[in-house]
Amino acid sequence: MEPQGPALVLSHIEAMALFAFFTSLVFAFLSKRGWRDRTKYFLWTFVLFLLAGVGLGWLMYPFPR
Amino acid sequence: MNGTDSPKTPAAPPAPRAGQREARAWLLGLLGWLVPGLGHLLQKKFDRAAVFFVSICALAALGLAMGAKLYGPPFVRDQGLFLFLLHVLGFVGDLGAGLLFFAARFQGLGQVYLSRAVGDYGTVFFLAAGLLNLLTALDAYDVAVGKKE
Repeated sequence: MEPQGPALVLSHIEAMALFAFFTSLVFAFLSKRGWRDRTKYFLWTFVLFLLAGVGLGWLMYPFPR
Repeated sequence: MNGTDSPKTPAAPPAPRAGQREARAWLLGLLGWLVPGLGHLLQKKFDRAAVFFVSICALAALGLAMGAKLYGPPFVRDQGLFLFLLHVLGFVGDLGAGLLFFAARFQGLGQVYLSRAVGDYGTVFFLAAGLLNLLTALDAYDVAVGKKE
């Protein structure tokens, strides 16, 4: 029997952005108090997640699958 | 009694003893593990409770919708010790999601490994939900014992 596919299919960038969004949100509320600090921390970690993901993707590009 | 005593002020409620406080903190940590954000909700940290609940449930739900594989016993032992340990660690991470993990297993979700990239993403999403939930449960404990605000 053919196994059923996933109910939700996201592109790589969509999955990475969603993961970065929710993870950064939890990190910001865990480690900072006050809305200003939390917002700054959230934006910083969110951008770093995305940059690290794209950067690692480029580093792995020459390697075969 | 010589009649010179000042009128008594109403006594403040007794502070909980260290043992009681520690036990309450463990209970709040446990509840925070079972349901994301519940440990904070019971301590009236409403903003943190809401964010933790929504974010962790969203990560877990997205993971399951993408075809996450949930780790759990029985573990495969015929593919080497390394893979066995990875599966055990994966189980510990998934277990961190508390009732979300048990509900998903009970519903029969996450039993099939999808050999597609999106299935791997789903597995990581659910794993991240479990690990983040463990962090929030520890935070609830820290708040209850007074280590954090």
